[in-house]
Amino acid sequence: MIQLSHVSKFFEKGKNAVDDISLTVNDGEIMVLLGTSGCGKTTTLRLINRLLDASSGTVEVNGENVRRIPATTLRKSIGYVLQNNGLFPHYTVEENICTVPQLLNWPKEKTIARCHTLMHKLKLPPEQYAHSYPHQLSGGQQQRVGLARALAADPPVLLMDEPFGALDPLTRDAVRQEFKSLDELHTKTVVLVTHDIEEAFQLGDRICLMNAGRIQQTGRPAELLFRPANDFVRNFFDRQRTQLELSTLKLRDIWDTIPSSHNGENYVEITGDASCWEALSLLTSSHVIATHNGTAKVITGSAVMNGLQTYKTR
Amino acid sequence: MEPSTSFFDFIQQEPAKLLQQTLTHTGLTFISVLIAIAIGLPLGILITRRRRLSGLVLGIAGVLQTIPSIALLGFMIPLLGIGVKPAIVALFLYALLPIIRNTYTGIRGVDPAVTEAATGMGMSDRQLLLKVQLPLAMPVILAGIRTATVINVGVATLAAYIAAGGLGEFIFGGIALNNTGMILAGAIPAALLAILFDWLISLLQKRMTRQSRMRLYLLPLILIVLSSFYLLPMGNNARLKAGFTPEFMGRRDGNLGLRTVYGIHINPLVISDMIMYKAAYEKTIDVISGSSTDGRGKAFDLVVLQDDKHIFPPYYAAPIATNTILEKYPELEPTLNLLAGTINDSIMTALNYQVDYLKYSPEKVAREFLMQKGLYQPARNGSKGTIRIGCKIFGDGYILANMYKMLIEGHTDLAVSTKLGLGGTKICFDALNNNQLDVYPEYTGTGLLAILQTPANITDTLIADKDKVYTYVSREFEQQYGIKWLKPVGFNNTYALMMRRQQTMDLQIKSISDLARYLKK
Repeated sequence: MIQLSHVSKFFEKGKNAVDDISLTVNDGEIMVLLGTSGCGKTTTLRLINRLLDASSGTVEVNGENVRRIPATTLRKSIGYVLQNNGLFPHYTVEENICTVPQLLNWPKEKTIARCHTLMHKLKLPPEQYAHSYPHQLSGGQQQRVGLARALAADPPVLLMDEPFGALDPLTRDAVRQEFKSLDELHTKTVVLVTHDIEEAFQLGDRICLMNAGRIQQTGRPAELLFRPANDFVRNFFDRQRTQLELSTLKLRDIWDTIPSSHNGENYVEITGDASCWEALSLLTSSHVIATHNGTAKVITGSAVMNGLQTYKTR
Repeated sequence: MEPSTSFFDFIQQEPAKLLQQTLTHTGLTFISVLIAIAIGLPLGILITRRRRLSGLVLGIAGVLQTIPSIALLGFMIPLLGIGVKPAIVALFLYALLPIIRNTYTGIRGVDPAVTEAATGMGMSDRQLLLKVQLPLAMPVILAGIRTATVINVGVATLAAYIAAGGLGEFIFGGIALNNTGMILAGAIPAALLAILFDWLISLLQKRMTRQSRMRLYLLPLILIVLSSFYLLPMGNNARLKAGFTPEFMGRRDGNLGLRTVYGIHINPLVISDMIMYKAAYEKTIDVISGSSTDGRGKAFDLVVLQDDKHIFPPYYAAPIATNTILEKYPELEPTLNLLAGTINDSIMTALNYQVDYLKYSPEKVAREFLMQKGLYQPARNGSKGTIRIGCKIFGDGYILANMYKMLIEGHTDLAVSTKLGLGGTKICFDALNNNQLDVYPEYTGTGLLAILQTPANITDTLIADKDKVYTYVSREFEQQYGIKWLKPVGFNNTYALMMRRQQTMDLQIKSISDLARYLKK
């Protein structure tokens, strides 16, 4: 668990980068810090592994004040992924991934075994890539090495600073999907910084929206979308609102507003866990039938849109 | 007319000496580079950690770099004397800037994302430096070491001026002796050394892989081995230490004569005329190859050893001038001859003493002497033509050239431009012969041996008689070059072995033969 209580960070030029922030990240949760450039999200992230020290307030990781732990010890227990991957160009892929286990003086066999396990999981076959240098890899592969390096010593906490920001849209989506399905992450407490709204909604268990050094709202994606705390939060999502709403809302959320009917043939079958957006996407090429709690219903465009409308006015 | 031996002849004659000087040169270069790395690398790292110091440190190193190398060597002499120590210190100071600056630039040039990742992984400052910053900055640091090495190979040639040895000995000796082959025997190996070291370090500089990291660990070892070359050839175990000028080293009436006629094998240091006398006074060396009328001999109380077997020919000074200029301005010759016979050995020594030791300007000394002799007339500022006067870089030359300038300006309507302090016989004579000078004072002995390179059998018949030498060089210069020897000034500035007065009394050495006997004991 990570807990920030009334944390502020002043820089010499006088402006507060971070102003009286309180935030709790629960074990096993992915918390996304979202906001525009200069809103203080990266500063907040760096306060956690003490790349910066807070001017006031306390930061605790797993119940311990980070100021009481030597910075190097603290950092070795926290995985860190950077936007431009920050791989060591003079180290091979294997040497890069083994950095932290080596700093922790793990036995050599254990280190190599762990490294190869991670490489398999991240679709980087060791026999092919272990002795390559970073410049020989594609951008997506480099980012996966960066992720493997952060996970190598199996730290309970993972900090990610715009981890997919430097990738082209197609690669970004692929690496994101892989990241999401990685079993390693299910037990980790993750703080991820991004300015990409879609990414925040796709990956975040909860989102913390920041502006001008302050937290505007923290909550599950649906909460930010349907129960915004202030005008800033409301306006922030306006340009992509409909798509976000449809992606966030599951069919089961609007199940009772969909009329019951199940006749016909050649249907694509989905479950109530699918999002409204997925249902609409399928509808552009075929008929769709969804099952939820043992009942099946035919999904139509108007049924989904009506459901959304009803949900919002509830 | 080229009388000097060719480059290939020369290296065939002196292979052992060439090897020794090359090794000395290599050693000098790498000892200083090694010390510069040992100090510059940590200093460069320090200023990446304490940014405020960076301006100061780089500024000081930069200023050191701008001091002309020969001046820097000169500054070292009062602090450290002559020989190895000041040469290494001067070379070290030159190597410092490229190494500090490239260490600093190299480390600062490491991608900030990489250093942030390293810090974020939990590396300590030391681990960050050793595992990340230094390996990544290494190509830039090596480029600095490469620059420093190449600079030092060049500057180390000047070390011969202060008796530190190296390939400069051939270069300066060759210039002094009018021997192109000898100059090239110093210059070509020095250039080859620079190219070789540059290439070797460039091999290390390639992208840092595991193998090249291994190679890099060998670098300090290689540097130490190369540095130790300096110590190899230093077999100077004679009972007395000698310091001879580069010119004296290669002359038949110099070190060669001492060896063959007197049987003295003393393995001398090669040292510049400018610091030799003081070094003898300070007991750094015991025997020097002075010139008999040098004022510093008197100033430092050195005595001339008697040349009892006559290896030093007479060196009577006289102006030499091209026939062209003498015919063009007939008034020139009688004016230059006004000085004939006026300055004997003791007067010249006294004049030199005023310049060398009392630090009067040669101009002032020249004017006072002419006034005393009633020869001085104020300059007429004539515009009939310009006479170009030169002289070599030592006392007699400056004083005589100034006297001739005043005489010409006062007694004729000619103007004078001077090119004083030229590096040696070869430079002066080539300038005169190529119509870049009109007049300069020369010595009969130098004309006989260094310029005409007269064979030994002829020299032997002339050497005991000053008039025969004068007649011979006059005739040969007229025939070979169209250059005229005017009347001698009067003094005989011959080579002389000199020692401290007290030491000659302690050891009972009066002549060169006594010295030879003492050394053989």
